[in-house]
Amino acid sequence: MAEISFPLPDLGEGLIEATVLDWLVSPGDHVERNQPLVELETSKSALELPSPQAGKVIRIHGAPGDTINVGEPLVVFEVPDNTAGIVGTVPKDDVPKRRVRLSAVLDED
Amino acid sequence: MSGRHAEQHIHTVEGTDPHIFVEIHEPAAGTDAGLRPILLLHGFSSSSKLNWGDTGWITALQAAGRRVITVDLPGHGRSASPEDLDSYSPSRIRADLLQIVADAGARPLRDGDPSSGLDIIGYSLGSRLAWEFGATQPELVHRLVLGGPNKEDPLASFDLAAAQHYLADGMPIEDESTAGLLKMAQLLPSNDLFALLSLIEAIKGEPYDPAEAVPHMPMLLVAGDKDERAVTMPELASIASHAGGMVEQLLVPGRNHSNAITSRVFKDAALAFLGV
Amino acid sequence: MSESTTATLETATRNEATTKTQSTRLSMQQALNRALDEILSADPRTVVFGEDCGQLGGVFRITDGLQAKHGESRVFDTPLAESGILGMSVGLAMAGFHPIPEVQFDGFAYPAINQIVCQIARMNYRSRGKLPMPITLRVPSFGGIRAPEHHGESLEALFAHVPGLKVVSPSDPHDAYHLLKYAASRPDPVIFMEPKSRYWQKGDVDTSDGGTLTGARIVRPGRHLTLVAWGAMVARCMQVAELAAEDGIDVEVLDLRWLKPIDAQALATSVGKTRRAVVVHEAPLTSGLGAEVAQLITQSCFDTLKAPVERVTGFDVPYPSGDLEDEYIPNIDRILLGIQRVLEYRRG
Repeated sequence: MAEISFPLPDLGEGLIEATVLDWLVSPGDHVERNQPLVELETSKSALELPSPQAGKVIRIHGAPGDTINVGEPLVVFEVPDNTAGIVGTVPKDDVPKRRVRLSAVLDED
Repeated sequence: MSGRHAEQHIHTVEGTDPHIFVEIHEPAAGTDAGLRPILLLHGFSSSSKLNWGDTGWITALQAAGRRVITVDLPGHGRSASPEDLDSYSPSRIRADLLQIVADAGARPLRDGDPSSGLDIIGYSLGSRLAWEFGATQPELVHRLVLGGPNKEDPLASFDLAAAQHYLADGMPIEDESTAGLLKMAQLLPSNDLFALLSLIEAIKGEPYDPAEAVPHMPMLLVAGDKDERAVTMPELASIASHAGGMVEQLLVPGRNHSNAITSRVFKDAALAFLGV
Repeated sequence: MSESTTATLETATRNEATTKTQSTRLSMQQALNRALDEILSADPRTVVFGEDCGQLGGVFRITDGLQAKHGESRVFDTPLAESGILGMSVGLAMAGFHPIPEVQFDGFAYPAINQIVCQIARMNYRSRGKLPMPITLRVPSFGGIRAPEHHGESLEALFAHVPGLKVVSPSDPHDAYHLLKYAASRPDPVIFMEPKSRYWQKGDVDTSDGGTLTGARIVRPGRHLTLVAWGAMVARCMQVAELAAEDGIDVEVLDLRWLKPIDAQALATSVGKTRRAVVVHEAPLTSGLGAEVAQLITQSCFDTLKAPVERVTGFDVPYPSGDLEDEYIPNIDRILLGIQRVLEYRRG
């Protein structure tokens, strides 16, 4: 298994930090992509951060009331070693089924 | 999703198109609950994106099988900032909203038809508009959820002259509430400040009086227990219940006016209250 | 053809020359990551950068952990601007660094074509050898992972056509490890095309011995026909060779590895023996590298060829969306049909 750390992303509008309001997941939870992870509050608004990926949450950073800077670790996921990147899926390496048979008289000259 | 409230032909109210930005969010695939649409009304100096999108409301409602209508109020979000003051008056906004929800497919309540009618969730200024809309459209509105609600509109006591002086030459604003609201409006670069001041001016012309027109449909009032802008929520509740309506109140622990909106407690309560 | 059988064959071939091996089982991701780590440790002038290469460790984890180990000044993220990534590589190379930039996906190399073609490929020539460009541009390439547009393209012919560039594509973890280290050690710019659909497949990597790194490699010897391929198509050709063997056809699989310069001698030797050849690539047919390979074979083997060289390739259409890529990338049946056409050919 591999770990993937998800840092607090750039929330736009020049914001450099956010305060944790409430976690919506706990370590050990399996989350789907886009499932809400955490409620955050910035100096401009409150927001709910969706998960960037599917996986098992193994660590969360910041208790309610804690401030986290953009770029600092927010949550760490555990994913299988053969998990695809942000784009695409891991191809299966199964044995292909053939429909074509070869037929040839090989003149070994 | 669609852009303006009518793509093919624009249904204008009072002859002019206020260019209000509307989006329809269909239920998540395979979850359609068959219930009436929900109109979301955001607060002052916010937008549908900030108040309902980024906070997870739209996806939560869609996941529950609900069809959602969002609008950006005049001068907010992706809506236009009309020149004329009249476009910002609460009565004009309510008229535009009525046209928008009709165009979006909301139909008057019919007994035994759970897809008829309209539910509304408002926040702050959006709760005021929802209250008045519910009071004036009893044949359409099924239930109301009012977040961060207040008996008096804080915008009504906004010191417009002081704000304009401040914006013109930086003269400090004495009134704390006015200074706070202006600071909030200035925080978001996307806000059109002069349009927001027009909205305030129009609101001062039609101050909020919840007792004047009281909605009779069931309503849920929700506020953070640290929300200083919603301390009069119990009074609002008693106005509604004295008028014969069914009223529920919910305090979200540890939350204030700006951060109660994302709360799961709030969302779960609203979903349960509107899921009938 | 299973992965383990492939690996056994290759290992067997490689071990002939060596008695002591340090073999480790790694995926191509891990092999490339290890190679980069070792390059960074060995050469203080090396810098690794690209979109998401630093903090995230790359969208395919190729640079995973390298920033933490080698520091933010040597492994770092860039803005979403390929022209900037390659333009910065030019400046770094001029200043004596050995840049290893990454373009996150094949299709995003297009915005940097000016920097690659007009600067990187020519600077050494333009400066009469005063400004070499020791740049290894890593490009996760080809299709096969069900990705959207710009994430499945084959640009080898485009790059191979540019004087001054070298182009290489490994087909397995062992070659990926050694070819990347070799490319990074060269004074010339190398376009390093990583077959992204093979990133997760594991193989034995003998870190002590890379064998011969400059030419093509016979992955499977055979008598009747040569399948020429590179990148992800090598594994598919190995599957086809096993199927052909069921029908009594002994197929040799030649992994070209270097697409510029092409190992013409290896082609001549292999096809000189088998007298039949099929070239397989994912890129579109017209002006694809298969035409170059076919010409090189014809040039050296014209007198003994039993049939014209066949090409089994992608189609002359934009690379399709993920749902359709199985119809686009040469599959085993299309390759078998190509072989059958060659076998059936009769002169006159």
